[in-house]
Amino acid sequence: MTTLPTATNPPLVCWNCHERTVGTHFCNSCGKVLQVPGHSDYFAMFEIPRKLWIEMGALEQKFLQLSWKLHPDNFVNATPEEREISLKRSSELNDAYRTLRDPVARVEYLLAIEGARKEGQNKQQAPPELLEEVFDLNESLDELREAKASGSDTAGLKHRLEAAEKNFEGKLKEVDAQLQGAAREWDQAIQENAGKDRRDAVKSQLNDLLNRRSYIRNLVVNVQKELR
Amino acid sequence: MGRIVGIDLGTTNSLVAYVDAQTGQPKCIPGPNGSTLCPSVVSLDADGSIIVGEPARRRLLTQPERSIYSVKRLMGRGPADVQTELKLFPFRIDPNSRSVIRVQLGDRVFTPPEISSFILRELKNWAEAYFGEPVDRAVVTVPAYFNDAQRQATKDAGKLAGLEVLRLVNEPTAAALAYGLHEKQRGKVAVYDLGGGTFDISILKLISTNEGDIYQVLSTNGDTHLGGDDIDNLLQAFVHEQILQTDEIDFSPHGELAQELRKELIALKHKLSEVESAVLRFELPNGKFYVHEFTRGAFEALISPVVDRTMAPVKQALADAQLMPTEMDEVVLVGGTTRTPLIRRTAQEFFDRKPHTELNPDEVVALGAAVQANILDRGVQNMLLLDVTPLSLGIETYGGAVAKIIPRNSTIPASAQELYTTGVDNQTGIDIHVLQGERELAKDCRSLARFTLKVLPAPAGLPRIEVKFLIDANGILQVGAKDVRTGEQHIIEVQPSYGLNDNDIERMLEESIEYAEQDFAERQTIEARTEAESILTATNKALANPNATALNGSERAQIDASIAALKSAVPGSDYKLIRRQIDELNHATEHLAELLMNSAVQSALQGKNLAEV
Repeated sequence: MTTLPTATNPPLVCWNCHERTVGTHFCNSCGKVLQVPGHSDYFAMFEIPRKLWIEMGALEQKFLQLSWKLHPDNFVNATPEEREISLKRSSELNDAYRTLRDPVARVEYLLAIEGARKEGQNKQQAPPELLEEVFDLNESLDELREAKASGSDTAGLKHRLEAAEKNFEGKLKEVDAQLQGAAREWDQAIQENAGKDRRDAVKSQLNDLLNRRSYIRNLVVNVQKELR
Repeated sequence: MGRIVGIDLGTTNSLVAYVDAQTGQPKCIPGPNGSTLCPSVVSLDADGSIIVGEPARRRLLTQPERSIYSVKRLMGRGPADVQTELKLFPFRIDPNSRSVIRVQLGDRVFTPPEISSFILRELKNWAEAYFGEPVDRAVVTVPAYFNDAQRQATKDAGKLAGLEVLRLVNEPTAAALAYGLHEKQRGKVAVYDLGGGTFDISILKLISTNEGDIYQVLSTNGDTHLGGDDIDNLLQAFVHEQILQTDEIDFSPHGELAQELRKELIALKHKLSEVESAVLRFELPNGKFYVHEFTRGAFEALISPVVDRTMAPVKQALADAQLMPTEMDEVVLVGGTTRTPLIRRTAQEFFDRKPHTELNPDEVVALGAAVQANILDRGVQNMLLLDVTPLSLGIETYGGAVAKIIPRNSTIPASAQELYTTGVDNQTGIDIHVLQGERELAKDCRSLARFTLKVLPAPAGLPRIEVKFLIDANGILQVGAKDVRTGEQHIIEVQPSYGLNDNDIERMLEESIEYAEQDFAERQTIEARTEAESILTATNKALANPNATALNGSERAQIDASIAALKSAVPGSDYKLIRRQIDELNHATEHLAELLMNSAVQSALQGKNLAEV
């Protein structure tokens, strides 16, 4: 097995000692917390490759270890400049952990930094193969709202909507499984150091699945809201 | 630099605590009357001075229009928010209040942060008297479910009290810190904190690492307007109704009579935590007595709506942490209201586990604040607290909807970036509205701030401004903006929706000097002088006593020298010198004191000084 290069920040010039440093969080020459220009790469923060399968236990260990060092509590007596940097870096650490911990947010983030995240042109637009079911669902939702407003019996409608909700929840699980499959393909492409075309194809597939997922999820949330 | 303390700024009582450097244990500091509880009551005296704590609490009965309690309920809120409270609490809100509430005390008006600052200043004085050293920094606790405006108001109060607030810590988290230190607990902990006016539930994970113990909050939820006050209100409404029925006396909630009844009802409530039934006997203006026996059962039936209201937040917090009630390793009850047996029972049944109540529920939050103060003072370096933001942060989008950019229960500090551009040619400003809350529409969330990003005229879509929203370790929002093209920082003036702006604070700081007591050294000097006067008087009296002739010559000379030294120190402002001379005189008169004692009581009084004989 080849060892994968982990994502790293480009070499920096330390704000404090002005030495060039290759440290991730702290200057390897003077030890001060580093100021990273622009946005940090979340994968780089945890010193892991840009892969979608992440070992959660190791991620948590690394998070706690970095929290000890970057948390503002450690910088109460530091200079205002250092306090500012610590605040920025520790918020980024928390943002990174929050994002990488969540499998869907992780995919979204990966696509965003790869420049491959494109939300559906119209979020309201149903995927073609779902059109018919979505049409039926919306009709039932309208009927339920009307029935609620006029105070007539809603039991039958609710029953129908509950069935529809189950159906779409099933589809959500399907999308999640497909997303996992595509994530594995991505990791494999990285592992095999695949060319741009293959990577782009996986990214595009991941992006479509994310859009599909968010569409179906919205449907489920809307139905749940009406049923409550 | 002065000392650092932890302060629990409570709805009903406030406390101040510190960590003893020798034992490493936190300890609450008592006030002049020996109690560690300072009632969170403020009263304006007729001469314009401010009275805080127990004396102010007594004035609730005699001068209700000059006194205020439970001011925490008003922190960070606008006049429209508090209309329901006004029916239940005798707050006198200045009708001219706009975004910030102003409360009337006698002929003066004060903002809630100012009133809270009087309480903080009182506690600061307690601590300074205790240490004999100035106190200038504090960790102050807030309900975990406090929003940005409520937190900012608390921080403002600290500033107005002359304290640098190093950190705001969530009350349940502080309690967990105190318990963790006390019990060395591990695993998943639920903290149920029902105080006088606020309810919080926090789910924490206590983790041991090589570097030390981490207290990681997984989720929090609550209600910032739910507490023992609500139990009192239910009791009071019940009794008012009965008295109205039988004696046709209508209580104005603002009157002295209502305050007196409330006091009796609170005593009754406390009693019912200990005994199975208690009788209320209350004299009415018509000379008759209202007499009613409350059994614990009837009391519990009456207050169960309050207990029920705590359960929805508890369930939500568990769901957010993705845990079941029975997965908790420990349950901790905090806040005076959790002394109620119904609450203990409810918690025990829900979590299927006996809750911890070992630490005094009134003191535990202040103790935890002291622990965090010690951490920030770097007295302890092997404890770390990772807290969360209780409410989602969002920005208003088209159609009044809210886009959530930092979800609730995110570990803080947390941040999010949003990219903005213009929609029409030559647009010169982009309006941004920041909100906090879980609802989908802006009108249902809490407005935090509005501001306008100024842009130079350009074709639509060309300007690119990145706005960074950052929630700091206090749970308070900071906003920054920069032009993506030029990298230039944008100056933005954020107008808080419900808070004091910098000018307000500046003005209040100036005004507060009017109320501020003398500085620390001055107060110490005055106290030392008073004590010197009384010991000098006592010594002179003792020397005039016939038994004093039994002193030998050198003893007498020593006493005279000590008197002269003390007399010469008194006019000066060196309180330490005055104290030293007092001690010296006390020492010199030990034999004199003995001589004056009746031989029968001599043994009982051994070791006392002259002023005490």
